[in-house]
Order: sequence, then C-alpha cells, then structure tokens
Amino acid sequence: METLITYNAVHHNPWGTPITIYFWLVGASAGSFVLSAFGWVFGIKRYKPLALSASVLAIGMLMIVPVLLIWDLGKPFRFIYLMLPGYWHGTAPMAWGSLLILSYPVSMFVYTYFVIKNDQKWAKIIGIIAIVLALSTHWYTGVVMELNPGRYINHTPLAPLLFLTGAFISGIGLMILVLWIKNFFMSEEKKIKWALMEEMAQYMMYGIVFDCFLLFLDFMQTQYGTASENIGHHEVLMNIFFTPYIMLETVIGLLLPLVILCSPLKRTRLGVYGASLLVAGGVYGMRIWWVMGGQYMQSFY
Amino acid sequence: MTTENKHESSAHHLREYGAQTPGTKGIPGTRRYSMVIDLRKCIGCMSCVVACKAEYGVPLGVWRTWVMVADKGRYPDSRRIFMPRLCNHCDYPICVRNCPTQATFKHEEGFVLQRYNRCIGCRTCVVACPYNARHFLPAKRTNNNLPKLVVDKCTFCIHRVKKGLVPACVQACVGGARIFGDVNDPKSEVAKLTAKEKVTVLKPELGTSPSVYYIGGDWEIMDETHNYKHRSAQQKEEFNTFKRNHHGDAFADIVEGENTMHHVGKNMSDFLASIPHKFHDVVAALKKLLFA
Repeated sequence: METLITYNAVHHNPWGTPITIYFWLVGASAGSFVLSAFGWVFGIKRYKPLALSASVLAIGMLMIVPVLLIWDLGKPFRFIYLMLPGYWHGTAPMAWGSLLILSYPVSMFVYTYFVIKNDQKWAKIIGIIAIVLALSTHWYTGVVMELNPGRYINHTPLAPLLFLTGAFISGIGLMILVLWIKNFFMSEEKKIKWALMEEMAQYMMYGIVFDCFLLFLDFMQTQYGTASENIGHHEVLMNIFFTPYIMLETVIGLLLPLVILCSPLKRTRLGVYGASLLVAGGVYGMRIWWVMGGQYMQSFY
Repeated sequence: MTTENKHESSAHHLREYGAQTPGTKGIPGTRRYSMVIDLRKCIGCMSCVVACKAEYGVPLGVWRTWVMVADKGRYPDSRRIFMPRLCNHCDYPICVRNCPTQATFKHEEGFVLQRYNRCIGCRTCVVACPYNARHFLPAKRTNNNLPKLVVDKCTFCIHRVKKGLVPACVQACVGGARIFGDVNDPKSEVAKLTAKEKVTVLKPELGTSPSVYYIGGDWEIMDETHNYKHRSAQQKEEFNTFKRNHHGDAFADIVEGENTMHHVGKNMSDFLASIPHKFHDVVAALKKLLFA
C-alpha cells in the first residue's frame, strides 16, 4: 500500500554557504602549504623560490577562516569556549578542529619566519609540524561531517581523502595562478620558471586522477549501498545538487582539466593556467554538495 | 524490559563516552524516563504541539514536538496516519558527543538537556541529531528575556517532571496516546507497555537507543528514506515556500527545482544580513555602559 507524506514540520539545513567557503579556503590553504614545504621540508631545491609565496598565500587564505567561522556562530563572542578547559569537549570533532585551526596558522607563521631568515634547519623542523597540522586541519573538515551517522551521504570513511585530494589539487591550481600574476611584477631572473609550473600542473593531473578514482569509489558505494545512500545519490546529488556535483565539480573541476592536461595543451600557458582556474573553482562544487547535499534529505524527516 | 532493550544495552556499552552519564536503560536502581506513543490512539489534533509551544513560547518556524501526517493507501481503501515526533532522549546521543563546549549533556535520569549559557550556536548538534529534534532560536523573540541565537530542544519537561507532573504534551494529549514514566520501574505504565506491546523506535540501526517508543508504528512513515521518496507535492511546495521566504540565518535553504547556485548565493547574503543581530546585544550593552 502506498504511503504519501502530506505534512511534516519544515526543518532547516543548519550549515550553509559560509561553511562551504570555509572548507574550500582551508583546503586551498593546505594544498598551497604542501607546495611551500616541497623545497624546505622535502629538500626539492627547485621549489624553494616559490616557498615564500606559497606559505603567504596559505596564511592569507587561512586568515579569512576565523572571520567566517566566528560570525557564523549564533554567539560569536563565545568562540573562546571552544578552547577553554571546562568547556572543551574531547569527543567532539569540532573541538579537535578548533585546536587545529588555532595551531596551524601559528606554525605557518613561525615556518615563514624561518624561510625569510633562510634558516634551513628550523624551517625544516617547524615545516614538518606545520605540514602535519595543515593536513590534519583539512582532514578534520572531512570528519566533522563524516562522524554524523544520520547524514548518509557524508557518512563515509572516504570523506577525509576526498577533502585532502581536493585540497591538494585546488591548492596547486591556485598557486599556479598566483605565480602567473606574480611573474608580471618580477624581474626576469626572479620569475618562476615555466618548467616548474609545468611540473606543478603534472602533479595536479595526478591529483585529479586520484580524485576521480575516489569519486568513482563513492559512486560505487552509493549504487551498491543502502536505500538511503542510493536515493541520496540519485534524488539529491544527481537532481537537486546537479549543478555543483556534476557540472561544477565533475565536469568543470575534474574532467575538463584532465582532458587539457592529457592533451598537447598541457605544454601551453593557456592550457596550464586554464586548467588551474577550472580546478580551483571546480573543487568548490564539491564543498557545496558535500555540506548542503549531505544535510538535504534529512530536512524532510 | 524487553529482550530488544537488553540487547541494545549490552551492544552499545562502548558508546559511553563524552559529557554524558552512561546509559541507564534497564539498570536496576536507576531511573530512565521514557515516553511511549500509542499511534493507535493518536488522532492528529496537534494539542501536544500547541501545549509545547505555549509551555516554552517556542517561536514560529521551529518545533520541540510536531506531528507528521501521511495518507496510506488509495481511495477508497485509504486512511490517514499520524506520528508525533520529539527529541528521543537517546541513551547514546550523538548530539552530546559532538557538542564542542559540553553545552548539551545527558542527565543521569535520561533527559538530554541544553545549557544556553554554554551554547555558542555552532549548530553541530543540529547536524548530528538524526531525528531533527533540535532547532536554532531566532534573533528576535516575543519575550526579549528568552534565549536567542542558541540551539534549543525538547527537555521532556524536566521542570514539570521534577514536581511530579507529566510533560505538557502528555498532559494535553486528548486521546491518551502519549504515556510518560520511568521505564526502569516495573510498576510504571511505560515499563508495562514496553514489555507487553510490540514497540518500535526511530532509526534503531544508528545505535542511539532512543527513549521514545511507538506502538503501532508504520515503517513507511518512520523511515527517513521512504519519507523523502514519497513526499507529496503539497509537502514539497510547503517546504519550498518556507525556504524561499526565509531570511536572516545562514542556513542551507536550497529550493528544489530552482537554480541551486542562486540559493547558495542567497545563503551568503542571509549570513551577512544575520551578522548585526549577533552583535546587537553586545553593542546595546556597550552603549548602555558608555552613555548611561
């Protein structure tokens, strides 16, 4: 016998656009910081010239985050409770995140200071700490939504990996664009070499391939998963969130750049800069469907 | 205590962490307040909703308790079914373990409560709650002394229970469909009903061990996925109208059938518009201090 729901209370989805922007910013920041660490932490010397720009970009993006997050609170002045003993709650993912968001920028500032001072030893030590914090901060954005078993779309252990891979590729994409603009203002000998940009684009391509693989795994999970996962995919993501999920993330953010970077266009500036722009923007689509799409189905319950 | 409850208690002992007392369901010498809702007696009059709204001055657009309505079958073989909803006061509440400031906690007698003075309004608990039982209080209240911009929820009327009364919704129920009491006390009506009748809970697979039991529950109205798949055109329209016209909070109000990206932008403008309200009280206090 068919049952049709005719009345229910209308529920809001509590986290909106500010949270999606925050997830994107933290991701791009972590991705940029990984590039910065290539030279000083992992010892790849040809990446040293871009280390300072990358860490400044990472810090700059992270500076917007507290403004968004604190203003998104109902009681902005109480944000300090997140760190106060007696209030801090060790089982809450958001409590871990508040410590990470606090310590990550501090470590980046110290790291940047040693990069400016040209102190290889301390830049490496602090860089290792900062890179762990950078990855953890973005890992946390994945788990803060994953650890809600009632949100079927988000409740997958792939979440942190999807977030970290998105962070890596959007960070590289954004970095390439920043370096391109920066090169306009630099003298010839200080300009970042084109070969390095090409190499970064190559890394970005590997990241895109891995991201596509993760999306495929997620797709398989929803197809062979529970009814909730299946309907969440078909009727929420493929229908209501079609634009951010398919158009913005999959087509604009992943497939188009992949085609560009697998074709002879990857040797051209238009190809590399174009792919970088598409990736940096397209990853925002994932943040939208992940946050808003994950909450959508339950709002009818 | 039913076999089902015994199984729940032993299976979830590992979930006793966070700012909450351990699960007390079925443990002798402890109290565990619970509610049984006999759906065979519910007539969908919404008295419980009105009583709750009146008891707490619950604002428009949010609910501590509400009644879902569904039409089952096809004419002429059809009937209307109801399902009252409220906080399930879980034995292992996800909202409690996910609250970053210990604003929400579980009382030793089973009430899951909210401390407004600790709540920062991050809405993590609203995201965590699988039953939509929590809501965010608006910036403007009819009574200015009531809490604003924090999360609120059903308290099982602890203030009444402590005085020996039943919750307001139970008191107002004309059909006697809502029954409240200590499920650990074998003499209580809820204990007798849960032992005698076939009771069901919402989303048992999540391991939250809810304390709201339904007698005569229809799985089709109790299942979230079925609910979503079989939402009526009327419900969709109500939902869309509400979301389209809602302003002032940074909620992810996406309107089905309209441009998603437009509503993503609208959420952002709502967020920006909500900022002055959040600072209003502090600015007013500062003004008072400086210009008194």
